[in-house]
Amino acid sequence: MSENGNGSKLKIAKYWAASCGGCDISLLEIGPHLLDLIKVADIVFWPCAADFKYKDVAAYEDGYIDICFYNGAIRTSEQEEIARLLRKKSKTLIAYGECAVDGGIPALANLNTKEEIFHAAYLENPSLDNPNGVTPQPITQCEFGELEIPRFYSQVLRLKDIVDVDYEIPGCPPQADRVWEAILALSGGELPARNQAVKVACRDKSVCDECPLEKRLVKIKEFKRPHEVKPEPEWCLLEQGIICMGPATRSGCDARCPTAGMPCRGCYGPSGDVIDQGTAMVSAIGSLLDASNEERAHELIGQIVDPVGSFYRFSMSSSMMKARK
Amino acid sequence: MASQPNDAGDQARIGVFICHCGGNVSDVVDVERVAAEVGKKPNVVHSGTHMFMCSDPGQALIEEKIKELNLNRVIVAACSPTLHQLTFRRTLERAGLNQFLFEHVNIREQVSWVVEDREEATRKATRLVNAAVGRIRHLVPLDKRRIKIHPASLVIGGGVAGLVAARDLARRGMRVNLVEKTPFLGGRMAQLDQLFPSNEHARELLGKLIQEVIHQPLITVHTNAQVVESEGIVGDFRTRLRIIPRGVNHHLTYAGNAIAACPEETISEFNFGLTRRKAIYMPYPGCYPQMPAIDWRSCTKCGKCAAAVSGKGISLDEEPKEIEIKSGVIVLATGYDPYEPLYGEYGYGIFPEVISLQQLVRILDEEGPTGGRLLVNNKPVRSMAFIHCAGARQYEGINMPQPDGTVNDYCARTCCTAALHNINIIKERYPDTRIFSVYQDIRTYGRGHEEYYEKASENGVTFLRFDPFDLPTVRHDTKEEAPLLVRTRDLLTDNLEMEIPVDVVVLATGVIPHDISELVDMFKCAVGYDNFLLEVHPKLRPVELAVSGVFLAGSCQGPMDITEAASAAAAAASKAAALIAQGQVEMDPFIAMVDENKCTGCQTCLTVCPYSAITKDERKGVAVVNEALCTGCGTCAAACPSNAIHQFGFTDDQILSEVEMLLSDSAVG
Amino acid sequence: MADNVVTHPTSTAPGSQWQPRIIGFLCYWCSYTGADAAGTARMKYPPNVDIVRVMCSGRIDPELIMSAFSRGADGVLVCGCHIGDCHYISGNHKTMARMPLVKRILTDLGIEPQRFRHEWVSAAEGEKFSKLVAEITEQVRKLGPLNWPKLMRERGVGHGMDLKAWGE
Repeated sequence: MSENGNGSKLKIAKYWAASCGGCDISLLEIGPHLLDLIKVADIVFWPCAADFKYKDVAAYEDGYIDICFYNGAIRTSEQEEIARLLRKKSKTLIAYGECAVDGGIPALANLNTKEEIFHAAYLENPSLDNPNGVTPQPITQCEFGELEIPRFYSQVLRLKDIVDVDYEIPGCPPQADRVWEAILALSGGELPARNQAVKVACRDKSVCDECPLEKRLVKIKEFKRPHEVKPEPEWCLLEQGIICMGPATRSGCDARCPTAGMPCRGCYGPSGDVIDQGTAMVSAIGSLLDASNEERAHELIGQIVDPVGSFYRFSMSSSMMKARK
Repeated sequence: MASQPNDAGDQARIGVFICHCGGNVSDVVDVERVAAEVGKKPNVVHSGTHMFMCSDPGQALIEEKIKELNLNRVIVAACSPTLHQLTFRRTLERAGLNQFLFEHVNIREQVSWVVEDREEATRKATRLVNAAVGRIRHLVPLDKRRIKIHPASLVIGGGVAGLVAARDLARRGMRVNLVEKTPFLGGRMAQLDQLFPSNEHARELLGKLIQEVIHQPLITVHTNAQVVESEGIVGDFRTRLRIIPRGVNHHLTYAGNAIAACPEETISEFNFGLTRRKAIYMPYPGCYPQMPAIDWRSCTKCGKCAAAVSGKGISLDEEPKEIEIKSGVIVLATGYDPYEPLYGEYGYGIFPEVISLQQLVRILDEEGPTGGRLLVNNKPVRSMAFIHCAGARQYEGINMPQPDGTVNDYCARTCCTAALHNINIIKERYPDTRIFSVYQDIRTYGRGHEEYYEKASENGVTFLRFDPFDLPTVRHDTKEEAPLLVRTRDLLTDNLEMEIPVDVVVLATGVIPHDISELVDMFKCAVGYDNFLLEVHPKLRPVELAVSGVFLAGSCQGPMDITEAASAAAAAASKAAALIAQGQVEMDPFIAMVDENKCTGCQTCLTVCPYSAITKDERKGVAVVNEALCTGCGTCAAACPSNAIHQFGFTDDQILSEVEMLLSDSAVG
Repeated sequence: MADNVVTHPTSTAPGSQWQPRIIGFLCYWCSYTGADAAGTARMKYPPNVDIVRVMCSGRIDPELIMSAFSRGADGVLVCGCHIGDCHYISGNHKTMARMPLVKRILTDLGIEPQRFRHEWVSAAEGEKFSKLVAEITEQVRKLGPLNWPKLMRERGVGHGMDLKAWGE
């Protein structure tokens, strides 16, 4: 690990937008390497873990932050404003975690309109107590004056939809080993040219490449959900009828889930240069159905519960269609 | 979606040539306007029209422009590519440009001939040519694949079609391996007697043909030989045969004694169940090979046959052996089976007096089970009814279905003539026999065939026409005038209901293809809905299968008579020989290729390839396409979830750029 | 900026009447020849289906269909050989298995099922093809434009337009 050019410590920032907090925890997962990191780096902004304010960041010079990890998707104007701020103030801006890279699980909200979401959250819901039907407004007059809250966008966006991104670290969350490798490479100047949203801390090929389970080259006769069946060990889960996103998902995670007998959920997003993870999966599954006539094909497909939710679980914002009509 | 290597991209210099097609296009599409619009697109260096692009001057124009303007991509917008795509590809070759840097746009069959409004048609043509401009930027030079052809052929089936094919191939100097599954050559023709229209005797003709074949040194005949596996592609087929031991060899001198001594009997397939035969047998005198064979399913290896000839010439303990045959081409001549009526169909199997046409032919044969005398169920025959279309031209819900639930709805072609021919033979020999022909339509279509119909009429045969939705029925005659009563409603006499007592009912049966499901799998043959093998094109390529290098000869392709089968066999032999003579075969280059850097070895492509052309390289952990086996369907490219397989000529880039151009046209409509 | 949302002006130029824009993926051996047969017989049908040919319907990747919709197609038609007639034996079996799943995803994304059709057309079925084109054009016309890029642009309104960095 080396320090930045002028001998002083590296300045690192980490911001969470529409996220669950898991990515912040995942950075801690690098474990003992944290101590190595702290020796050569200073945290200058990390809302989850330290008490820096936005105005502190605004006061930094442009480019002051050496490496900024931005995790979480962008749903509100606040998240967008901070993304722009951090882009200005950072030399290297990294979209960290699947939400920032592909929209992640929050992007599934694109399957509903803003009106539908507000309706469910604020107006109609068994646990609500909102007799006056109050919904958030961007600007409210109150006794203190004008109260402004961030605007809620009608689509979940990725970091690269807003600003130029240097690198992307996919995963939900990114695998700690890979993250540490990426940090090392970054600080050693070994990563590829910046500003092109190149994916790092991962591998190019799909999970099937890392998966130890074996293919028997049989077609799928019936789809089963993971809780319905105990899978046969050592045999490809997809061939057993359990929907495993492995063929359509980027690797780098060492295929931990299938190795443990759980189907891959697709949390590293699309592999290689595939843009749309869902259609890649449709290609794979469509080709493996045991159907000699149309009726049977329909029957089998009818057994897949929520294909859009399953195949685009983490990458709706990167998909070709991006949202529901 | 990364670019292909050598993709012209910005370096493309595109020439666009739009054809008037003598007015066929330009009467509807404003070709000058299309040329002008397309000419505005980036990289389009030339955009013009011509009256007839496919003519010599039209092609010369393309060559000229290629040289003058240093074009590296050419688009022709004209008739359907099915007509002249090859013409223009050759034009490019002559001009020194790779023939696959060409795009043919259909603005006639799919635009000018189908769109009424001139404005709409012009816009559509513009869109389509623009789409080609988008696509052609991504085309890369490709080379046809060339495969050397092994100068030998394999003919599967030793009936008349197989024999003719083998003979004709050998006459052209080709080596032939003729493979027959049963112990004897001759197939179904050997079971016939008098042939139409010449009245020659089948086995005599067959005998001559067989003599030609066996005396031809270039032909090796394998009987009792089954095809168990076949691999490879045109030019290089490797087929494994399993040769079942005959049990008898040429040392056997007193075949009759051996056969007489055998205690086991089974039904004679040669006589369609009318007689029985021994486990060691010869189907007919004069068969080839001219020695018996042992049917291992019925033989108990008791050894009595061997004992009767002092052990000479009989060996009961040989093992089957396997041999591999290399060939450049394969001819399938696996033939047909006569339809066997179902139990109960028109009373077949219930009444011994209901027989099939094929059984009747055996009865009338002088070398047959009754010495040629017209005896059925051991009784002479005074009256007969022939019911046509048994097992053919059937309707679902009307006729009895086959065990798999289907019906044979096709016409079996030869049975009307065969039935009438045999009717006339009976009338000649037994003029007093009362004969009824109960038919749906009389289809005596061939040369010399209609005469049978007229002759039968002259001979006093009564013709009754039935409605296929109201089939004739056969019952026991309760009035005991004759064993059977045939009821039918005759359309010729204004729907008169008739009940005819007859001694015998003959079902004029159709044909079904001989079951070759393993061969179909092995050679990936296309099969029609009627289960006969499907040719590439019934008019332009009637004896070729979509699988290159495999040809069809005879009734495996559809119902036909011996004349037609022999013709087809000769055609197949001619095509096969021409292929071998070429020395090598050229195939389209639109095959698939794996990008090893992207392939994860998930094997999804393996499972979808219809030709098993993809294997996994275990060491590298990636899929590998066998270029020789790949036929260019692109199914693997669609299946791959990693975008790791590309189909040359139909990459994602190429197709998507077309789509993009089609949708980006700012002109409305 | 992300570049995989293509913002093409499709068939909605101002002041002109909208025409359905439908992409037809046809296999060369059966359905393309069937379309030719319609032409040879001079059958007339609407010009709204633009044909993109592939060798086999098995080549038609779900990605291609989604791309067509995401780039602004109002409808997509996929045609191949009847089952049992595929020039490449079983390429169309794979199509048969994939298309229902594509349809399911499209309908779950709110796209009306009549916008996406999958039919078998043989080389002799020129009339069937011309009727099919007329039908799908009418159905899509009734449903109106889909214009997915415009829809997505509209939903994204509010982001990026005149927003500055926090504190500016």
